[in-house]
Amino acid sequence: MIPCYQTTTRFIPARYQAALLLEFAHSQDLDDQALFQGTHLDARAMLSEQALLTPGEYLQLLHNINQAAASRDTPFMLGQQLLPGHLGNLSHALLQARNLRQALDILIRYQAWLSPLLAPHLMTLGDKTALYWTDSCVTPRLRGFVVEMMMTAVSGMSRWLSGMRLPWQYRFNRTQPAYIEQYAVHLGTETRFNDYFDAMLIDAEWLDRPWPRGNEMTVTLALAAVEQQSPAEFCRQSLLAALYDYLAARIRLAPTLERTSADFGCSPATFKRHLAQHHTHFQAELDLARAHVTLNMINNQGYSNEQIAAYLGFHDANNFRRSFKRWTGLTPSMLRAHLLDSRVLE
Amino acid sequence: MFTAPRFALIVMTLLGGVFLLIYASLGVAKPLATWNWMDIVGEGGTALMSALWVMLVLTSRPSGRVTTLLAGGLLAIALGAWVDSLDEFFAIPKTQVWDNWLESLLMPGGMLTLTAGLFFWRQEQFSLNNHMRKRERLFREHRAFDRITQLADADYLRRQIRLEQARSPDQPCALILLDVNQFHRINRQYGQAEGDRVLQAISHLLLLNLRSDDLLCRYAGDRFAVLMPATTQDDASRMAHHLELCVRLLAHHTQTHGERLWISVRVACAVADQDADKLLDRLNARLELGPPSALEMAAAA
Repeated sequence: MIPCYQTTTRFIPARYQAALLLEFAHSQDLDDQALFQGTHLDARAMLSEQALLTPGEYLQLLHNINQAAASRDTPFMLGQQLLPGHLGNLSHALLQARNLRQALDILIRYQAWLSPLLAPHLMTLGDKTALYWTDSCVTPRLRGFVVEMMMTAVSGMSRWLSGMRLPWQYRFNRTQPAYIEQYAVHLGTETRFNDYFDAMLIDAEWLDRPWPRGNEMTVTLALAAVEQQSPAEFCRQSLLAALYDYLAARIRLAPTLERTSADFGCSPATFKRHLAQHHTHFQAELDLARAHVTLNMINNQGYSNEQIAAYLGFHDANNFRRSFKRWTGLTPSMLRAHLLDSRVLE
Repeated sequence: MFTAPRFALIVMTLLGGVFLLIYASLGVAKPLATWNWMDIVGEGGTALMSALWVMLVLTSRPSGRVTTLLAGGLLAIALGAWVDSLDEFFAIPKTQVWDNWLESLLMPGGMLTLTAGLFFWRQEQFSLNNHMRKRERLFREHRAFDRITQLADADYLRRQIRLEQARSPDQPCALILLDVNQFHRINRQYGQAEGDRVLQAISHLLLLNLRSDDLLCRYAGDRFAVLMPATTQDDASRMAHHLELCVRLLAHHTQTHGERLWISVRVACAVADQDADKLLDRLNARLELGPPSALEMAAAA
């Protein structure tokens, strides 16, 4: 059985994520009642050492604060404070990370704590590395908000720890917002909308540049302490993130709902219900994994449509082309032109 | 002890009750058949509405002379209308004149007080307009103002640029963007509240250094924008340089320890001869090009 957490699993340390929200709410002169509306939480319980939240509750708090603050910069302001965070040894490890690569590795490995709502992944795209995000526990309505918050968090952390603004390029799977100024100031002008994923791209050479505070020894010790202290039943990934990795690893084997649900330790009906609670279904997740595998093959290996079709088990290239269009809104050739286009612009 | 709205509510209820008692004890109740419903609705409605206006004025304005006059006048009108409507329920013998006095004192007295209030309110508005002058131009949009700096936002700025371009197409206006260097470090080191104070200080400083026709906006985060009507590139550059100098000389002290923070901004300016979105894109990109990276490296080490 593959261990994973869901929207109702209680594991998020309140004294980190919720305390930040509480502090922000106070700085905005919002009252606690507005923040805790629709949850069974209160400020006192929130700040106790052991208090834990579910991803669903965390989402509700974000929703409340967004409504109450009624300002476009809320996700960006929250994101600025989010990383390295106040998670004891884990934050300490991030703070002393040797370079960007190590910081991102820590972020991905400990995503349940550092980014419980969106799952971060790395992909190489030619001479660039992309940090891209897939859903863990977000509602479609709050997705944009959480994406803005997490991208600001990673940008802010890398800017602070490296000592300079890193040349990230941002891609968003959404239309251009009316409040583009928030993106320009908090993220930069290298933004592209209507893209096929939510990603931050950076030239691979930046990954290994040493950071001024870097200290390998501290990181190793801090991470060892994290491992020792983490509870036995702790899950590292959300259901959707685990499913994404599971499907990507078996993409050539034409994964079925029956087989997958068995591997996740439940009946197909239960599995379907779990996915519905996460606002998705099996075919959508399979298409997402296939689209990302295809992106990777086009970008890095320069595979032709015929080769990719054969790899993914399609009857012919035409079939594959149509499916790819359905997954991403682009045909494979459009995607190739798209990539070429971005290189010319740079 | 009592807040102004609660106090007004108590006064209105008490006086209203006293008038009702007087009418009930000295007058004779009219039979239901002779009630004039039209008058009851009209006069009673006026009383209720005026009472509501008293509450709206008191809950929305800071206390002071203008507020007292406005609320007092409306309160007298509300009571006058109330007395008027009591007339419909109780017949007062013609030999008694006190009810006429009550009516003819309350209504006109209220009107006079309200008029005086409106007159002073007009003066107050002129001085507020003067205060708001560099924060808004040509039109008012209360939703566009930022909570921290009381400046208008990027949306307002874009509309103002378009408006200015349409108003005087052959007299180009200029735009300056200012971005605070290392602002994220202030937020990290001293907290967001201190960051907000820095933004307030800078906005005050910039306002003091602008001409009365210029408009200052908070573009987003730590980025400010100045729209300067009828200004050439040269004048805009001079102004940009001047503002940069001003900020560098600002002595900001933190709230908790009174520590001196050294604040600087980088600027980009251009004549607004193209589409507002494109212009802002261009200036934003230019601000990104020129971060003092050597300085950042030194500060981080």
